[in-house]
Amino acid sequence: MIAGAFLLVLGITGAILAFEPELDRLLHPHLSRLKPGGRTLSLVDIGEAASKKYGGEPVVAYLPSSSPDVPTEVILSGVVSVNQYTGEVLGLRTRGQTVLGFMRALHVRLATGDIGRNILRWSTVLMLISLASGLYLWWPRKRIRIRGPWWSRLFWSDQHNSFGIFSLVPLLLLTATGIVIGFEDEVSSLLDKMYGTNPVHSSQTPEQSEPSQGSTELTPDQAIAIASAQLPGALPCRLQMPRYGGLYVVSLTYSDNRIAAERNSISLDPRNGRIVAINQSAGLTPRERFMATNEAIHTGNILGMPTRILAALASILLPLQVVSGLLIWIRRTNILRRG
Amino acid sequence: MNRTIAVVTLLVASATASDLTGKWFGTFKVDGGDHTVPQLFILKQQGKTLSGSGGPNASEQYPIENGKIDGDEARFELTTGEWKFAYDLKQTAPDALSGTLKLQSVNDSRNAKVSLTRSQGN
Repeated sequence: MIAGAFLLVLGITGAILAFEPELDRLLHPHLSRLKPGGRTLSLVDIGEAASKKYGGEPVVAYLPSSSPDVPTEVILSGVVSVNQYTGEVLGLRTRGQTVLGFMRALHVRLATGDIGRNILRWSTVLMLISLASGLYLWWPRKRIRIRGPWWSRLFWSDQHNSFGIFSLVPLLLLTATGIVIGFEDEVSSLLDKMYGTNPVHSSQTPEQSEPSQGSTELTPDQAIAIASAQLPGALPCRLQMPRYGGLYVVSLTYSDNRIAAERNSISLDPRNGRIVAINQSAGLTPRERFMATNEAIHTGNILGMPTRILAALASILLPLQVVSGLLIWIRRTNILRRG
Repeated sequence: MNRTIAVVTLLVASATASDLTGKWFGTFKVDGGDHTVPQLFILKQQGKTLSGSGGPNASEQYPIENGKIDGDEARFELTTGEWKFAYDLKQTAPDALSGTLKLQSVNDSRNAKVSLTRSQGN
């Protein structure tokens, strides 16, 4: 019953987080959408516009626009949205916890620390046992119907049985993948023992370049052009400036690959554009691939919007199952007490 | 008597708060996080100002910003992009720093515990 309270939290927050990017855009409409039109400005111009507006802060990174109606973002001490056609600064998002960040903190660690995380990961283990026992109890009668008025025990018993069997598979998947995330260290060590730990990340041996001290010859746009040519079909989603780490690091993503699609990165020497390292999601270790696939299943990203909707529906059904299970238990206890 | 105590206290404090210049290794662990994250700092102290770089390893270093020393306490920040790291450390021994770290993104804010040891090979 106590675990039920935590499962309520997991279900409600999980359903919200399934649509985190959309909700985030909804909460910041003026920073997330613009009317496309005209020639796209260079990243240098966009960065200068953002930096000028906020006291000359240096640009840490650029998040190039993913679509014509989505602004380019410039990371300073906060994240600035800039209209890439006009150079108009649309606004700044400061750092700190938001409502969605709090939802995530609740979902992952009950918004506390190690105690919350441990409570949640063991609650998911109890959830797995509960799902298995539910199937065991449902199997003899195989009941899929709802009878009686909503306040009757029969109604809630039927609801619990019917909704439970329909949500069983998605809930099993969410729970099993949640357990893997909760026990990530243990699962990772196990996978490393099974498959080894040799990374096959870089298709070129990374050579350490001396960090540049301000004199940058390659422009951000040139860095993106060189990196994009290495991975045809991939879209640049992030550019880290060489002031932060000594190299340009261009991250690229494939829109049709939802497993670790963002883990492609190309490091460039800012002085001459020489490629220092290429990391590709295709070169992940078996452990990294397993964990990335597990996460994609858990978040519903594995097949895009349809599976995200399914994950959200299953998450909504979880609190309903907890409540109906509790109501059945209370009514059964009352009947037993009355003799 | 009071004067003696004050002098001894000052001596102990100055012995503990030695110059932080050097290479520091260690880890941080986010409260409620899964694992420890490696840390490497190359610090330069000039008076009460701290500069240098830091990151997870030698090949990924970010410049230290707003570095300040106050007695045996060191505060500094660094930005990796999505996350801003604000360190609040105390020198617990000539070659040991420990304290807290606040990580902030545009959505999230998390706390971590940090522990660093100075490399003797400087």
